Amino acid sequence: MDAKDILLGLPKPTTTPTPHGHQLLPLPADKKSRPPKESQRKPDGISREVYALTGGLAPLMPSVDVNHLKRRAQSENEKITWQWLPFTSSARKDNLQLYHWVRVVNGVPPSGDYSFAKYNKSVDVIKYTDDEYEKHLTDPMWTKEETDELFDLCERFDLRFIVIADRFPTSRTVEELKSRYYSVCRAILIARAPAPGDIAGHPLVKDAYNISQDVERKRALSMVLSQTKQQERRDAEVLAEAKRISEARKAAKGTDELEVPAMTDTVPDDNDGAAAAVDSLSPSPNAQFTSGAIAPPVSEIASTLASLRMMRVYLRTHALEQMVQAASSSAGLRTIKRVEQTLQDLGVNLKPKVPTKAVCAEHLELRKEILTLLNLQKQLQYKEAEGSSYRDGLYAETPGTPPKRVQRAVEQDRTFVPDSFSFGGERMGKRDQKRKAPGRLLEGPPSPAQSKRPRKFKASDG
Amino acid sequence: MPQSSSSSKKHGTDQPDIGGPASKSQRTKMVKSSDDTEKKNLAKKLKELEISVPIVYGNIAFWLGKKASEYQSHKWTVYVRGGTNEDISVVVKRVVFQLHSSFNNPTRVVDGPPFELSESGWGEFEIVITLHFHNDVCEKPLHLYHHLKLYPEDDSGPMSTKKPVVVESYDEIVFTEPSEGFFSRVQNHPAVVVPRLPAGFALPPPVPLEDADKRRRGDTKDHTLSQWFSNFSEADELLKLAAARQQVQAHIATLRRQLSLIDGQHQQLKSASDMSKIGGRCSSSTGKVAFTSETGE
Repeated sequence: MDAKDILLGLPKPTTTPTPHGHQLLPLPADKKSRPPKESQRKPDGISREVYALTGGLAPLMPSVDVNHLKRRAQSENEKITWQWLPFTSSARKDNLQLYHWVRVVNGVPPSGDYSFAKYNKSVDVIKYTDDEYEKHLTDPMWTKEETDELFDLCERFDLRFIVIADRFPTSRTVEELKSRYYSVCRAILIARAPAPGDIAGHPLVKDAYNISQDVERKRALSMVLSQTKQQERRDAEVLAEAKRISEARKAAKGTDELEVPAMTDTVPDDNDGAAAAVDSLSPSPNAQFTSGAIAPPVSEIASTLASLRMMRVYLRTHALEQMVQAASSSAGLRTIKRVEQTLQDLGVNLKPKVPTKAVCAEHLELRKEILTLLNLQKQLQYKEAEGSSYRDGLYAETPGTPPKRVQRAVEQDRTFVPDSFSFGGERMGKRDQKRKAPGRLLEGPPSPAQSKRPRKFKASDG
Repeated sequence: MPQSSSSSKKHGTDQPDIGGPASKSQRTKMVKSSDDTEKKNLAKKLKELEISVPIVYGNIAFWLGKKASEYQSHKWTVYVRGGTNEDISVVVKRVVFQLHSSFNNPTRVVDGPPFELSESGWGEFEIVITLHFHNDVCEKPLHLYHHLKLYPEDDSGPMSTKKPVVVESYDEIVFTEPSEGFFSRVQNHPAVVVPRLPAGFALPPPVPLEDADKRRRGDTKDHTLSQWFSNFSEADELLKLAAARQQVQAHIATLRRQLSLIDGQHQQLKSASDMSKIGGRCSSSTGKVAFTSETGE
């Protein structure tokens, strides 16, 4: 006796496997044959076909634990049969006798209305009397017959206007039908209401149907629907462009507003295009100021002022920071460091200790003036370099007094300033001594880079 | 007010007033019609104005001395006060102090003046102070950042429990485009710097909402710690700035002089070299001439 035998019992000769898998053979009364028959019968809880998916009866252990399968509720207590029975539905107004399969429990068919009858909803279409029609609903475009017909159709087809339009005897568009229907309903509503305030909140009264709007809307929708891909792309482009222009225009308008008081010269307040406004902004500052380095910060400052105003609330120290940044926007890091060094030398705090409006304004002006100063110093150096270079060239034989005088005067003026004010000027002397020979610009054409090197030339050379 | 005058006319007797009842009604009519344009102009003016509130924020820290423990070595107070110790609650609705996360409930909300918070601890950290303003003032909050200082800068001997470490920063809150309500509410308040409206414009003074007593309590003039408050005077800084500017301007003038001088020199040299070019001097000079003409401009 092996496990199989224990589980299945000794197979009886009568229980032969058939092409259909296994077959339910009538259970004989003797107990010996029952166990194998049981196991060969389909297990309870799942249908035979489903079980067959597992490959028929499992020879050893059932792969599906029968207890885990859902048991149909009360399938043992009751007798379930299915019967082909007639039924009525409250949704039907006629006496049509229909039949369907019904699940009968213990011989008792189910009671109650047809389960789908509850979905038979319809619209309460207003019914007006002739009197009411005469009084409130007459319309030059509509006859009474038409209106009656319309309402009848509305009733029949539950306000499905597309269908109603189809069925309408005279050709009217959907929008016309809707307009007539809603205006009639609205008039009736207002006429029947005891007081106008009662129905003031009714959607029909508040937002009446607007036929032209509806027509337009549908037209627009159909246009959008029928747009070709090309048109779509073009529309998107145009919209993006428009957005960009309006934003630029807004920004330019903000700066324009502040530019006008700031600059006495004409900044044409043309709002034709943002580009035009911005363009007019940049050349004019250049025309105004002699030193080119000051020009760009003007627009920076203006836009900073605009953005500060937008903020509605800010700290004055923050504002000062922004303005300082804007004012030094054209300056490199080295220049900024120089400005700060200068401030320190002058005994001024880099960030004011008492940042009142006046103090901040003075501080900003001071910084701007220092920038101007540094620019001028740079210019002076360049000019001197130029001068010294061709002075040396021309007057090589005659180290004449005039050039020297100029240079010495220049140097004297410079020593007027405290030593620490320099940033390369005074130290020129030391560096020059390290240089080997005055081999200057005789070699090649002078370039701006080269003209920088003359800084190392001692002023009183030659 | 135009309104009141017209109503008085209705109720009152025909008093032989300054202008007489007839002209009064005329005046009323005139004012009413120009009211709109006046309102528009006022609104425009208000748009250009800014209201500023000077504030001082910082901390005062006392060493606890004998009572100090490892985790509670100092007792400190962080605060925001008016620049001249006036009551800023006319503008500030509440202040939120965000402390280090190691504190219990690190978000401390202070709903009325004095806007301060006292704690004890041992560590220095950044406190974010958020100012929330009244609805008619501004809807956006403003953030201040203060580094809590407990230990003195210099190790000048033993710490004293009597002399605290004080770090204060002065700043000003600037409100652009103030609303009419805000403007009229604060136009006479000592804590607020309100620019004068140009001649011809005026806002009616608001009905005082709180009694003077309540208002006084909000200022910090008699605060327990007021003896440690620093005095911030703009006069010193202004003087220094003015002096610095003068120096710089003088220097700029000098440089400009020099530049024009040199330009003149260069012109001379340029013309000289031109002449020499004509005269045909040494070969190097031609090179020089090329140079000058290039850079001579």
